[in-house]
Amino acid sequence: MPPLLLQVAAVTRINVKSIPQRFWPSLSTVVAVALVVVVLLSFLAMAHGFQRTLTNSGAEDVAVVLRGGSQSEINSTIAREQVRLLEEGPGIARDAGGRSLTSAELYLVVDGVKRASQTKANLPLRGVGDQGAAVRRGIRMVAGRMFTPGANEIVVGKSLLREFEGFDIGRTVAFATTRWTVVGVFEAAGSVFESEIWADLPVVQSLFNRNNIFQSFRARLQSPTALADLRRYVDADARLKLDVKSEAAYFADQAAQTSDLIQKLGWPLAIAMAFGALAGALNTMYSSVSARAVEIATLRAIGFGGLPAFVGTLVESLVLAALGGGLGAIATYLVFDGFSASTLGASFTQVVFNFAISPALVAEGMALALAVGLAGGLFPAIRAARLPIVAGLSGS
Amino acid sequence: MSDFLLIRKYLFRRKLRAGLMLVSIAIAFLIFGVLAGFERAFNAGEDVAAADRLVVVNKINFTQPLPVAYFNRVGSVDGVRQVTHLNWFGGYFQEPKNFLIVLAVEPQSYMAVYDDQLAIAADARQAFVRERTGALVGEAMAKKWGWRVGDRVPIMSNIFTQKNGSRTWDFTIVGTFAGRKPQVDTNFMVFQYAYFNETQNLGKDMIGWLALNTTSPAANEGVAKAIDRMFANSPHETSTDTEKAFNKAFAAQLGNIALIVTLVVGAAFATILMIVGNTMVMALRERTREIGVLKTIGFSGVRVLRLVLGESVLLALLGGVPGIACAALFAAAMETRVGNFIPGFAVTPGIAVTAVLLMLLFGILTGLIPAVHAMRLKIATALGRS
Amino acid sequence: MPNDHLVRLVGLSKAFVKGKERIVIFDRLDLSIAAGDFVAVMGPSGSGKTTLLNLLGGIDRPDGGQLAVDGERVDRLSESDLARWRAGNVGFVFQFYNLMPMLTAAQNVELPLLLTRLSKQQRRAHVETALKVVTLSDRSKHYPREMSGGQQQRVAIARAIVSDPKLLLCDEPTGDLDRATADEILATLRLLNGEFGKTIVMVTHDPAAAKYARRTLHLDKGRFSERELAA
Repeated sequence: MPPLLLQVAAVTRINVKSIPQRFWPSLSTVVAVALVVVVLLSFLAMAHGFQRTLTNSGAEDVAVVLRGGSQSEINSTIAREQVRLLEEGPGIARDAGGRSLTSAELYLVVDGVKRASQTKANLPLRGVGDQGAAVRRGIRMVAGRMFTPGANEIVVGKSLLREFEGFDIGRTVAFATTRWTVVGVFEAAGSVFESEIWADLPVVQSLFNRNNIFQSFRARLQSPTALADLRRYVDADARLKLDVKSEAAYFADQAAQTSDLIQKLGWPLAIAMAFGALAGALNTMYSSVSARAVEIATLRAIGFGGLPAFVGTLVESLVLAALGGGLGAIATYLVFDGFSASTLGASFTQVVFNFAISPALVAEGMALALAVGLAGGLFPAIRAARLPIVAGLSGS
Repeated sequence: MSDFLLIRKYLFRRKLRAGLMLVSIAIAFLIFGVLAGFERAFNAGEDVAAADRLVVVNKINFTQPLPVAYFNRVGSVDGVRQVTHLNWFGGYFQEPKNFLIVLAVEPQSYMAVYDDQLAIAADARQAFVRERTGALVGEAMAKKWGWRVGDRVPIMSNIFTQKNGSRTWDFTIVGTFAGRKPQVDTNFMVFQYAYFNETQNLGKDMIGWLALNTTSPAANEGVAKAIDRMFANSPHETSTDTEKAFNKAFAAQLGNIALIVTLVVGAAFATILMIVGNTMVMALRERTREIGVLKTIGFSGVRVLRLVLGESVLLALLGGVPGIACAALFAAAMETRVGNFIPGFAVTPGIAVTAVLLMLLFGILTGLIPAVHAMRLKIATALGRS
Repeated sequence: MPNDHLVRLVGLSKAFVKGKERIVIFDRLDLSIAAGDFVAVMGPSGSGKTTLLNLLGGIDRPDGGQLAVDGERVDRLSESDLARWRAGNVGFVFQFYNLMPMLTAAQNVELPLLLTRLSKQQRRAHVETALKVVTLSDRSKHYPREMSGGQQQRVAIARAIVSDPKLLLCDEPTGDLDRATADEILATLRLLNGEFGKTIVMVTHDPAAAKYARRTLHLDKGRFSERELAA
């Protein structure tokens, strides 16, 4: 190994090993960086989790049809004749019995109570046809049974049951004058449907005075490319002033807005805090350099060049920052990963999602931490490299 | 020369270090100011709502409609001073992404019920009642789109269609209104329910909700109960609550903003507490001998304690005040942009006072340990002899 | 003759505990110093010279015995009273000057006056006088780092006398100075004693320095042996 590298390695080792001697200042830098990473990662995990729930919800081969111009199901209206025309559209898959896999649905908002905060919440009540579960993927009953057609029965998604009160199996739920019994709990592959209440479409229509009115139409396509065929079919018919999207695209749009907002809040906050931590890191490193002035000067007097001092100090700063970043990532993971939260989605209804930390996010957090380490170590490292030997030796 | 000079000299003894601490503290208080201002504006809906105003919504959920007949029926309930009805229009201007808050209201009663919040000129009032297609536009919205009285604006709805199939309604702006208080949102528009009801084709004679003023806040509970009792077991049951409570519940749906703000601000403060506290300890350790000398001169332990605390408090104030000032500037600059969503985003005097108190607390906390240590320091030890 | 003596030390005992060992420095020591005296204290290291000075100045407390300065029982004072007593009665001069590096000479000298109720103008007057006595008036606005060792020590002396204390305690005041400068400092001390009547106790290991004093006390194993020098 060339002498210069040996020098660098030796000095770096001395620097890093001396960290425990400046325990409290080093610890404060580590904790400061850790907190910055925690703030950043928790916001990113929130955005990521929300986005993931929504993107999981959409399949490429399920078409969602809404009234033209409606941004979400709740604003849409579709008439019975339109539903009939849609059912005959091209590209729609059929089930084992030969029936086309379609589901015309109603989407209403009802009131619920959040368990955690005991505050009111808007919950989605979806009236689904008998093929509602079949059109989607991954819908499975995990407790109880599906509702009986024609009965005042509801089934609830797993996440909804977890976050909101009063929906345990067997309970009676009242939406104004209407009364319903909860007969089952379903899971939906972690998608947004797990935050919903489902009931039989005709019952919902009659009890909510929406006879012959639908809000959305879903169809399982033979393949993702069949979407274009269906769209052409709809555009060609003047009676069908409707928008056809893949369910994936529909949810992606909805997710983007909220997840963008969360990220737009999280990054500036984290960066502001990073500057604060940076000030602390600079302070720690400058005092580290002055505390070791005699040591550094002695090495220089012996003949070590300025580069080893520079690298050694910089590495010391990066090590502290990396420790902080790692600590912050672990803490965020332990506390927040899988943390369940809910917020208003695009339809003004609650979407339950889990904070989700991924390796990519951790990398972003570590990048910020290392940036702080680099910025905090650079100037002190330069000072260490250029320390006047005599001044350093006399300890001033 | 005075104790204050001594404190200042000690504080800035190492200028770079002091500068870094000041920046650190300033940033923490900047974060505090911005987030506190945000949280306050976010929850301002509660504060602005008049104490005697109730809203009546469909019991199932506020997105479900009520019959317009309820307007007169509620008006006749004991304790109701005046009542109006509103519909959510779901409006946008030119493109769906230019979403607007547009409400269809009963003109006369609406202006009466919200008189405490909205300032409307007399001629605008008359025009609004008179013109079927007239609309009143809030200051903020008018400013954003550059609309003036007399303009004709086409507004589209993403919920309703007209009987003639079009999604566009044409309105003439007959006046603008301002908020009587800074937190009042003026980024919305109102037009005549009659015009709406005649032209839209999705179920006639239905309204979104009612807003009313009671004869006094004490009557609120009684009136709310009476109204809900009146419509119990009907096809459209109601749920009546104070506007304050309603706004609060709605804000709560977004998430526990207050909690998030507290946690983030807490993290920021914890960070600088560690950093500054640590630095103070280090700085004091460098000064051990000098503290001994001060004591030999005759400075008592308590006086030395005061000097050290004075230093840490001065540091906190010198760093915190610019931080809060920056937060205030930031809020003022952002007002135009986010004023749409959260009116009243500002660093209020209340927040500033809280900030100063926090600075004092912070100063004391960071200086406490080194100060007590300095107070107790034995001269002989400090001078390095025993 | 109690009233002649500024300092009366009777039966002083002091021991230090170092780990498990108890080291006795003084065991019932007596000492009297008259007002206006200039005493040099010499002795080998570890003999307790500095400890004696600390005790005289109220920086340290005796384990036993009485210490009276100008009739006041210093050994009985509480910590806060001691601080106050020191402010008005004692001035210290150290081997390494111990000036505040970020204050000017004048500001350093003014420090003890912050403990008084004098007005700003009065304080300034006192500082000017003190600096004049040590002939350093032209350096009043300079910082310690801009001055030589001798000048810094003169500032320290000015600081020590600015509140007109009864007792001046000097711990190796010339230990860090060269011969010529040391002589200047010692001459200043002699001036303070001769012309201004200050009582001075000076610890030193330098016999040449001790010659400037009126008498020298030798301290060894906690006991004095006195050798008077001509005044």
